[in-house]
Amino acid sequence: MTSITGVLKQDAEKLKNLLPAEDILTFDFQNGEGLSFQCIFADAVTDKELLADEVLRPLQTYSGKPTTDEVKKAVISPEVRTEKNLQKLADEILAGNPVLLWDGADEGLIVGTKKVFVRSVTEPPTDVVIKGPREGFIEDVKINTSLVRRRFKTPDLKIEMIKIGRQSQTVVAMCYLEGTTVEQTIKDVRKKLKEIDIDYIPDSSYLTHFLSSRPYSLMKQVGATEKPDIFCAKIAEGRVGLLVDGSPIALTVPYLLVEDFQASEDYYVPEYRASFTRILRLFALIVAIYLPAFYISAQLFKLQLFPVRLLLTISGAIQDIPLSPSLEMLLVLLVLEVLNEASIRMPKYVGMALSVVGALVLGETAVSAGFVSTPAIIIIAFSGIGLYAVPNLIEQTSVLRLAMLFVAGSVGTYGIILLTAFVILYLVTTENYGAPLVAPFAPLVKRDLRDTFVKYNIGSLKTRPRTLGSKNKRRLKRHE
Amino acid sequence: MSKIAPRQLYFFFACIAPLGKLVLLPTQLAQYSANDLLFPAAINFLLQAGVIFLIMLLSRSNSTFFDLLVNTFGKITAKILICIFSLFLIFVSFLPILEQKLFIQSVFYDTLPSTVAFSTFFLFSAYICAKPAGVLGRTWDILAPLAIFGIVGILVFSVANADFAALAPVGVTGAKSIFQSTLYTVSWFYDSAMLLMLMGRFEYQKGMAWKSALFYLLGAAVILLYLAIFFGIYEGIAVRQIFSFAKIGKYNSGVPVLGRIDYLFIFSLTLGLSFYCTMPLHLGVTCLVQAFGGGKYRPALFSVGANLIIFILTILMTYHFATVNKTVNETLCYLFLVFCVLIPAFALLLRRKPREKV
Amino acid sequence: MKKFEKFLKTVPMKLYIIFSAIFVFTFFSNDFGLVDIQKTAIILAAGIDRTDEGFHLTAQIAVPKGSDRNSCGTASINIEGDGKTVSDCVTQIYSKTGWVPKLIFCNLILIGEETAKEDVFDGLDFFLRNEYMQDSCTVAVCEGTAKDMLTSTSALDDTSSQSIEKIFSDATQKSGTNVKNTLKDFSIGYYGRSKSSYMPFVRAFEQDCGADSGGGEGSSASGSGGGSQSASDNKGETQKKIYFANETALFSEGKMVALLGPEETFAYSLLQGKVFAGTMTAEEDGQPVTLSILSNEGKISLNTKNKPKVILSIKTKLRLYNRGVPAPIDDVSKGEISEKVKESAQERLTQYCNRLWEICKSSGCDLFQLNRDLYRTSPKKYAEWKDTILSVADLEIKLKIEKIN
Repeated sequence: MTSITGVLKQDAEKLKNLLPAEDILTFDFQNGEGLSFQCIFADAVTDKELLADEVLRPLQTYSGKPTTDEVKKAVISPEVRTEKNLQKLADEILAGNPVLLWDGADEGLIVGTKKVFVRSVTEPPTDVVIKGPREGFIEDVKINTSLVRRRFKTPDLKIEMIKIGRQSQTVVAMCYLEGTTVEQTIKDVRKKLKEIDIDYIPDSSYLTHFLSSRPYSLMKQVGATEKPDIFCAKIAEGRVGLLVDGSPIALTVPYLLVEDFQASEDYYVPEYRASFTRILRLFALIVAIYLPAFYISAQLFKLQLFPVRLLLTISGAIQDIPLSPSLEMLLVLLVLEVLNEASIRMPKYVGMALSVVGALVLGETAVSAGFVSTPAIIIIAFSGIGLYAVPNLIEQTSVLRLAMLFVAGSVGTYGIILLTAFVILYLVTTENYGAPLVAPFAPLVKRDLRDTFVKYNIGSLKTRPRTLGSKNKRRLKRHE
Repeated sequence: MSKIAPRQLYFFFACIAPLGKLVLLPTQLAQYSANDLLFPAAINFLLQAGVIFLIMLLSRSNSTFFDLLVNTFGKITAKILICIFSLFLIFVSFLPILEQKLFIQSVFYDTLPSTVAFSTFFLFSAYICAKPAGVLGRTWDILAPLAIFGIVGILVFSVANADFAALAPVGVTGAKSIFQSTLYTVSWFYDSAMLLMLMGRFEYQKGMAWKSALFYLLGAAVILLYLAIFFGIYEGIAVRQIFSFAKIGKYNSGVPVLGRIDYLFIFSLTLGLSFYCTMPLHLGVTCLVQAFGGGKYRPALFSVGANLIIFILTILMTYHFATVNKTVNETLCYLFLVFCVLIPAFALLLRRKPREKV
Repeated sequence: MKKFEKFLKTVPMKLYIIFSAIFVFTFFSNDFGLVDIQKTAIILAAGIDRTDEGFHLTAQIAVPKGSDRNSCGTASINIEGDGKTVSDCVTQIYSKTGWVPKLIFCNLILIGEETAKEDVFDGLDFFLRNEYMQDSCTVAVCEGTAKDMLTSTSALDDTSSQSIEKIFSDATQKSGTNVKNTLKDFSIGYYGRSKSSYMPFVRAFEQDCGADSGGGEGSSASGSGGGSQSASDNKGETQKKIYFANETALFSEGKMVALLGPEETFAYSLLQGKVFAGTMTAEEDGQPVTLSILSNEGKISLNTKNKPKVILSIKTKLRLYNRGVPAPIDDVSKGEISEKVKESAQERLTQYCNRLWEICKSSGCDLFQLNRDLYRTSPKKYAEWKDTILSVADLEIKLKIEKIN
């Protein structure tokens, strides 16, 4: 590794060679004594105004041949570091921090005048609440860490910055509470992060693959949230949180499946309401996954699943449909998925047109043309809505629904039951960072059930989840 | 995950093990001992509870059955014995799987489906059998509440239609008939043999022996209640009512209004049954793994092999169920007595510590 | 060995692809011997008649009404088949229509009057054996032939079987006007110690409805056709039928041996303890008085101490419901039952019960399942009296009538 020699011209040239890009600019100036300085910075990511105010102007007026310490004092910026290694200095420049070199200096001065393009902290669109905090993470890791730090005014909150990505050098902030989070989990996460050898990390979702014990699994094994309050609550329970620069989605491990049934609002409304909505979510999800499958397996294999009157109505509705029940259902499901996908990607002002096309043209007209039947549309519509009751599991549940549909269409109700058995077996055998995915149900952890589908009063949630194995068990003290 | 928790084992005894006795056993009991059907069932349950108690005492050493065999007979003999046990368990699984096949064809389809429909069961079975036996504990955690939901639902839906007086006159079939019925239905009670294979996969805790027996009897009590309701509803035509648990709830007055909501209970129980049916095969594969060693692929190969055998047998014997049933129940019942009662009971005599090398 | 391990490593993915392909193929081809809703004949009711060659089966099959939601009731067609057994008849129906007959929704089995005079299990055997048949379906005997009854046009519904089923609803059971029986319970009686059971006896009466009245206005597809699918249009036909089942056919060893009249049927309902909203008519000073039954407990017991004695107990709560003559306003407001009315009611119920018992005795139908009860209480005495119990048993009737104001 090349280090600084103290000869300005030589050092500046070496540094420029390391950064041959056109957006790397230099600014040469002299102070009152005629000492030459050179400031090297990346054009778009450096706040030039701040650089001029805090660094260049004070130094230009500075007289004498200053030592490194004197230069540091002269510069007004609070974020000043020194570095001898030219490669590291080059990295800092790319990160938006200008480097200052001068004749005779054996170290380069890094000034924290990074220009940050950030949007403001707003309510995340994926997790809207009526009651409770409305802050959401944004793309800047520093602001995100500040949102976390604001909620934990304790030295126990540790934030470790790890750079991942050979070329992107993405900063990942690993947050945990010392003494609360299991040491082994911290070590495992750190190890897995450090083992990642990839060129570029565009989003936190890239990390989930590397953090999972079964990377190809259908089920997710890393929790995700956009809300700092939830993120902090999970850290407080003994999890490790990860904030990735450039991503508003924060990750948490270990992940339990039940987490996705717990909406942030559940903790800000009375427990009976929270319990009701959680059970409703579970019910909606089960119905969403199973309803289309049972509908076609009943039509194909077991008519008795319908009450006789309903059967006659359905049989009347489908009598002229040219497709088999399973194909009809698959077709409607695919149309729904396409509409769903298109409505997310489509510009907002076209959205209305899409609704009209989806609801009227594809729905009403397809029924009156006799391509599909009304019950099939009703079933898929209900299933489509039900799936969104647990939005964080949408990727998994939509695949499961499709799988159920295929099995139901080919084997019938027994196929649905067997696939359910497969899923159960698969879920109970999945573990990540020592926490079973379906805990506290399997293995059953009685005390942890208090914050699952039935939510107890906050006064009853005295301990941290045992499933996470935290040594610091007690959360609530002396409360009757 | 490698160890089964005591609670999970209790769930198995109280909620999962009784499921296997719901499908064809009630009809067979009615056939062999009519209104006295509770007696042979109770005797078999008591016998099993006793053997389970003894096995749990044996499991205080926290060794597997194979380890005990090695300690007593040496490695080669132990391997031969465990292979014999494995064959027995694979054989045991045949009748319940065939029974499950007929049940599925009758209850889940309006018209007789092709054999292929049930073949999917073997995909599941092969998958679970390749897993270590420790995973069973967690599945019981999930299945226990489902089984409770199913059985309680069926009982609640059917109890009002039962005429318990149909069980009278008590003991009219005579002791000989009851004894014979006990013997002829012993083939449905193989929980003790399976427990023997689960030894060493749970940590023995104080009081586990009597608690296990008690939980088993709790499950037995539920089945006895079911049998009473079953006979109370069907009386003289009980012998015709195969797969009764899928039918017994439909007489409820709510069914004509709401449709067959009792199917919810039937589905839950079938889910539990699907797991229960694979257990003997699973433990048979576990025995083979103990005998020939594990590794990455061997359990999967053993699993595929064992499932393939049962799959072929199931296809070959589809139209000979009555013969298979009669042979297993009436001719091979002594084999079950040996493997499910005598061997587990005498296993107490096995050496718990390895022989010291001289 | 390494090659083999390498091969094993790829096995799960290969299997995954193979099985996925199989599932997708079967999903699109539906090739599991599948009989889906569109290939199915949903049989709502079956009528059995005996012929010289064997049986004649009339299957009432539901047909979809399509998107026509303005018509009420259920549309159906009647398809008939003949054969030596009921199963042959079903096969014939299948071959004629190409629809697979599904019995899971068959809620009514009607047996023709003449057919019921021989062992009905010749015909019912098929339904009891069939795993896909609901044994909770109603069984009934009908006046004339089952074919005529099922192919008649109901005044209340497009489908005659739906109309007939309505008269066996829970509400009518509570009125005590008929007694319903299911295939399961009938079979239990048949195969039980008593070898006896009962079925409601259905009669059809013509109802002059006029061209516009009735439920199946214009949309009826009911009709009959000799052994082939038919959907004759009954528009304009004014003689529609309404159904009654206030009589009960008694069976011994599967044969219909007697018919209980409406009053004996009512008494049997009371003995079963099913009547909660029925009425009965008594007399006061030669004038009819209708009484409402608000609650009822009934019990049939057998005392076997020395000689068998049948005890029929009825406990009812009655209230004055209606007088046949104008009454003073005081009487109207109170609705109180006089002692005379109570005695008259008691007398009538005793008469009904006596007649019921006499019919059972004379026909040899062990309607009260005395042999079953005897076996349950004392197998020894059962062996002694099983063939003579109806003739040797004494009768005791216990009536307890409570007046409600």
